[in-house]
Amino acid sequence: MEALFFNADDGYIEAIVRGYRSSILNNTSYINLTQCETLEDVKLQLAASDYGTLLQNESHLSTSMLAQKCLDKLVQEFEYIRAHAVAPLSQFLDYMTYAYMIDNVILLITGTLHERDTHELLDRCHPLGVFDSMPALCVATNVAELYNSVLVETPLAPYFKDCLSAEDLDEMNIEIIRNTLYKAYLEDFYYFSQSFGGPTAEIMSELLQFEADRRSLNITINSFGTELTKDDRAKLFPSIGRLYPEGNLKLAKSDDIDQVKATCDVFLEYRQFFDGSSSTGASKTLEDRFFEYEVHLNKKSFQQQFHYALFYSFLKLKEQEIRNIVWISECISQGQKERINNYIPIF
Amino acid sequence: MSGTSNRLAVFPTRMTLSVMKQKLKGAQTGHSLLKRKSEALTKRFRDIVKKIDDAKRLMGKVMQVASFSLAEVTYITGDIGYQVQESVKNAQFRVRAKQENVSGVMLPAFESYQEGTNANELTGLGRGGQQVQRCKETYIKAVETLVELASLQTAFVILDEVIKLTNRRVNAIEHIIIPRYENTIKFILSELDEQDREEFFRLKKVQGKKKEAAARDTLERESRQAAEGKKVREGGATESVNPSLPQPSDLLGGDDEDVIF
Amino acid sequence: MAAIGDEDSITGLLLAGIGHIDSHQRKNFLVVDAKTPLAAVEDAFNEFTKRKDIAIILINQHIAEEIRPLIDEHDQAFPTILEIPSKDHPYDPEKDSVLKRVRRLFGE
Repeated sequence: MEALFFNADDGYIEAIVRGYRSSILNNTSYINLTQCETLEDVKLQLAASDYGTLLQNESHLSTSMLAQKCLDKLVQEFEYIRAHAVAPLSQFLDYMTYAYMIDNVILLITGTLHERDTHELLDRCHPLGVFDSMPALCVATNVAELYNSVLVETPLAPYFKDCLSAEDLDEMNIEIIRNTLYKAYLEDFYYFSQSFGGPTAEIMSELLQFEADRRSLNITINSFGTELTKDDRAKLFPSIGRLYPEGNLKLAKSDDIDQVKATCDVFLEYRQFFDGSSSTGASKTLEDRFFEYEVHLNKKSFQQQFHYALFYSFLKLKEQEIRNIVWISECISQGQKERINNYIPIF
Repeated sequence: MSGTSNRLAVFPTRMTLSVMKQKLKGAQTGHSLLKRKSEALTKRFRDIVKKIDDAKRLMGKVMQVASFSLAEVTYITGDIGYQVQESVKNAQFRVRAKQENVSGVMLPAFESYQEGTNANELTGLGRGGQQVQRCKETYIKAVETLVELASLQTAFVILDEVIKLTNRRVNAIEHIIIPRYENTIKFILSELDEQDREEFFRLKKVQGKKKEAAARDTLERESRQAAEGKKVREGGATESVNPSLPQPSDLLGGDDEDVIF
Repeated sequence: MAAIGDEDSITGLLLAGIGHIDSHQRKNFLVVDAKTPLAAVEDAFNEFTKRKDIAIILINQHIAEEIRPLIDEHDQAFPTILEIPSKDHPYDPEKDSVLKRVRRLFGE
C-alpha cells in the first residue's frame, strides 16, 4: 500500500533528501580535514564539498562563523524540504522542529524571568525552531503572560498545558522545565510516528526509544550529587524508551554510575556504552558513544524506502556533521590536534 | 665648584659642626639602608617580572585549554551561553586581598575562594551535563591562574611605584643631601680653621704685645730700680700695683676679638 | 571580579562562577559582540574601575585593544586589569599594557 502511494506525495522530496544525503562528508573528507593546519586549509577542503560556495566570500574565518554558515545551509535545505512537503509529511517535519522550539521557548522564558528585552533573544533562537508567532511571545512582560501566549500561539501548547502551570514557570529550575517539556514532546512524537504504521513507525520507534533512553541515562548521571531529588528525576524520564519501565525505575533509584551500568547491562546495545569507559577520563566519553550509536541508527534508516524516518535521520546526521566540522576546526584553531579524531564519522 | 653654594646656611660653630657630623652620619646610614631596601625590592621586582612573563604565557595556554573545553560543551550540548549568563545570581568564585610584607612594602595578594551554591548545577541535564561540569572545573582552574597573575600584576604595579620612590630617595640622599652636609662640614671646618688661625695670630700678637709690655716693664722696672736703687728701702708698696695694670687690657682685647668676628 | 569579553569567554568565566548581580541589578560582566558600541565598553570599563567591590578586571585582549588608551591611563594598583586571550584571538604578549611596561623597564 505504502509503496504504491508514497511516491505520489513524497517521492520527490525523498529523492531530494537522498540527494542531500550523498553530500554528507565521507571518511576521506574527514581524514583530509584532520590533516589541515589552519582554518584556511579547512576552507579549501570544504570548498570541494557541498559547503564550497558558502565560505567563498568569507575572508576572516572563525569557528563560530563556520558553524553559523553550516547551520544556515542545513536550515536552508530543511526549509526547502518543508516547503515541498504535503500532509502528513509536513506535519511530521513540524514535529521534528518542535524540539528546537522547546529550546527557543525556554530561552525566551529565561529572558522573561530575568526581565530582559526578549526581542534581542530572537536572533539567538535556533532557526529550525522559529515559528511565525514567536515575536508575539516577546510582548509578554511577565511569566504568566508568557505562559498564556505560549498556550495560544505555539504548537507546544499541549505540552505546556499537560505538564506545567504558570506558577511552575516561576518556581521551577529552567532545566527541569526544559526536560519536562522534552519528555512530553518525545512521547507525543513517538505516538504520532506510531500512527503511521509500517516502516516509519518501526524505524522511528527505534530512534525515539534510543533518544528517550539516552535522556534518561544522561539525566540520571548528571543529577548525581545535585539537588535534584530521585522523585523529580523519575518524573523527567520519558516513558517510551526500551528502559521503560523497569530500567527507568532502577535508574531513578541509582546513586552512582555502577548502578546505572548494571541497569543497562540487560540491554545488549546499551551495554557497550559502559564497557571499558568510566564516565570521565576515557578517550571516548559516554556522550561520544551515544552519538556514535545515534549515527549508526540514523544510517540504518536510509536503508529502507517509503518512510518518513529518513527525514528525521537526515536532520540528525547533518547536525552531527556540523558538530564534526566545528569540532575539527576548533581543534585546528586551538592547536589541540591530539583530540581531533574524536569526531564521529558518518559514512 | 658648585659645592660651595650647595650648603646649609648655618653658623659655623663647633656645635653646628657636631650636629652636621651627626646628620651626615644619619644620612649615610639612611642611604645604605634605603639602598639595601631598593635592592631587595628590585630583586623581588625582577622575580615578579619574570613570573609575570611566564604566567602570561601560561595563561595563554590555560585559557586555550579552557575555551577548548567550552568547545567540547558546545559540541555536545549546543549553545549554553545565554542560559549561563541569565542564571547568574551571586558570585560563587570570589577573591579577597591579603597583604604580604616585602621590605616594608605592603603587597596585596589575591586569594580566591568558593562560596555559595553552584548556579549551573543542572545545566545540560538532558545532555552534556558532564561536559559542562568538566568545563566548569577547567575554567575554575583557569580563573585561579588568572587570579594568581592578577596578584603578580598588582604587586608589579605597586613595586614599580615603590622602587621608583625609593630610588628617588636614594639618589636624593646620595647626590644632594650627603654632598650638602659634606659641604657644610667642609665650610664649617674651614671657617673654624680660619678662626683658629686668626685666634692664633691674635694670641701671637697679644703675646708679642705682652712681651713688649713685659720687656718695657722690666726695662722700666730695672731703670726705676736702678734709678731708685738707692731708695730701695722705702718703695715696697708701689711695686705691687704696677704689674696689675696690663691685665684688664688683656681681657678687653679677648672680648674684642669675638665681637669683631 | 569583573569581566569584559566575547560571549565564549564570558560563558566560561561565568561557569567558573565569577558572575555576580548585586542588589541594584548591576552585572559585573559585559558581553561584547560585533554590535556592541565602543562607548558601552568604555562605560562598563570605567564603571568597573570605580567600583569598590572589584579587585580584578578581566578583559579580552582584542577588546582591550579597542580601549587601549583607557587601559594605559589606568595606573592604579586596584583594580588590576588583566588581559586575557579569547577563543578566536590567541594571546599576543606584545600588545599587553603591563608587558609593554616590563619591556620598557628592561630597556628593550
